[in-house]
Amino acid sequence: MSTATAPVRRNAKVGRHVFFRILRCEGPGKPSQWQEFRIPIPENANVISCLQQIAANPVTTDGQTVTPVVWDAGCLEEVCGACTMVINGKVRQSCSCLIDEYAPNEGDVITLEPMSKFPVVRDLWVDRSRLFHNLARVKAWVPIDGTYDLGAGPKETPASQATHYVLSTCMSCGCCLEACPQFNLEPDSANWDTAFIGAHAISQARLFNDHPTGRELKDERLDALMGEGGINDCGNAQNCVKVCPKHIPLTESIAVIGRQTTMHAIAQFFRGR
Amino acid sequence: MVSCRSAGLLRPGGTTGIHHVMQSATASKESFFQRHYFLFRRLHSLTGILPIGVFLINHLLTNSSVAWGALALREKTVDAPWWVHGAEYFWREVRWLNTQIPNLLLIEIALWGSILFHSVFGVYYAMTGSVNTARYAYQGNWRYRLQRISGYIGILFIFYHVATLRWGWTFLVPGGTVWSQEFAASTLALTLRGGSSGVTAAGLAVSLAYFIGVTLLVFHFANGLWTAAITWGLTISEASQRRWGYACTGLGTVLMIMGWMSLFTFAAADPAKLREMEERMTQKQAMVSASPIAR
Repeated sequence: MSTATAPVRRNAKVGRHVFFRILRCEGPGKPSQWQEFRIPIPENANVISCLQQIAANPVTTDGQTVTPVVWDAGCLEEVCGACTMVINGKVRQSCSCLIDEYAPNEGDVITLEPMSKFPVVRDLWVDRSRLFHNLARVKAWVPIDGTYDLGAGPKETPASQATHYVLSTCMSCGCCLEACPQFNLEPDSANWDTAFIGAHAISQARLFNDHPTGRELKDERLDALMGEGGINDCGNAQNCVKVCPKHIPLTESIAVIGRQTTMHAIAQFFRGR
Repeated sequence: MVSCRSAGLLRPGGTTGIHHVMQSATASKESFFQRHYFLFRRLHSLTGILPIGVFLINHLLTNSSVAWGALALREKTVDAPWWVHGAEYFWREVRWLNTQIPNLLLIEIALWGSILFHSVFGVYYAMTGSVNTARYAYQGNWRYRLQRISGYIGILFIFYHVATLRWGWTFLVPGGTVWSQEFAASTLALTLRGGSSGVTAAGLAVSLAYFIGVTLLVFHFANGLWTAAITWGLTISEASQRRWGYACTGLGTVLMIMGWMSLFTFAAADPAKLREMEERMTQKQAMVSASPIAR
């Protein structure tokens, strides 16, 4: 990755100023408005470090002193997913978004918006509860709770490990959902169980259905995925796999679950349950 | 890592907890449609291929015979241009379809029922989506959008097509041509030209509507065939999806050429000459039917 981006970064002008156009919102249900800030860019700046500069001196380009911009962040190394936002119209993590790549010249503009598929808490900070709720819909875990020690689980082969590893790198950031035309904003949690579940949960269901211990819940996961808002609500636009920062083969996972639900339905038909 | 992460977030009492999921699973009273959600979805996918897709292939194959029929016609009894020979072959095909296929009425009911089902559920499912091709202008996203647009327009086109050429809603046909089975080629040519006095503006509009309708529906079928393979879990890996994509593109291209060939030939053909051929064929057929050998 560093080799691919190196030429772009070398071209970045030292000592330049960059404009940040930020979609602000004071709280849930409040109207949104654009504000612009002009930021001097130090070496190796990223979007988060620029937001920190704005927080230190929250003055817009028309000289107005405003409240500091609010954003969510955690690890600052693209493994937690908390700082996901829409940058220049596309969803990604802001911590790994380098200004030298996005705005190499004096006066370049970077636009920041909160993700549109989740309710805004404030400014760039959104409430991703539904994303985690959807993981619970497919029981995206290994069932090991009990009253006694279950001992060691079955061994995984190196081959299955290789397949599982990339699936396990999902950080629940929400990029796949933001880019998905079938996953839309649903502020009412009463509708979450019937609205589209999203590629992340389908991929996690695949991971745990394939896990030596996790597959105990395979039938329950497939039952959940066969219902309204499950696997069939996928429209195959395949944006999810294009925007996934972890390069998880999400569309492959969707096809795998498609096959598993097909077989599950046939088995159910003849088994009677 | 993910299991720890998700388990940690599913704390009891939280808005995202297991509690919520269990509550909704036990408390919900599902409708008939919700209980059989999977079945309806898969039937929607299946009907697009069988019978609708299979019919589309046959339909375009029969219609395009007007363009390639001259090559396939075994004996040419009259000296005429290639499209008259093609239309004669087409006439024989249409007659064969209408007289030799067993249980044609049942097949038609199944076909119309499937088109109705696929349309109603297709529109309902399409309403759950949104458009974001401006921001995510990927080819796949455009096909997702076009699949829905082609579905909407396709329903209108099929309705117009069947209403005018089958149910005889002649008030929707410029020139008021009544389509008939025995004179399928000439009446279709008149419909596409807007009447017997050359090509009219209204005729051109009908031809254009047919061009758009056929083009979009062929795309809809080819792209639908590609997505159906993912839906049913036939194509799993990116490579297999790409390979199946080539196959669907190939089939779509062939069908597109067949559709366009039929349309251009019927629109360009002289209806009077086609009528002449049809009368000759009908007379010949009547003679064959009346002969003692045929009885």
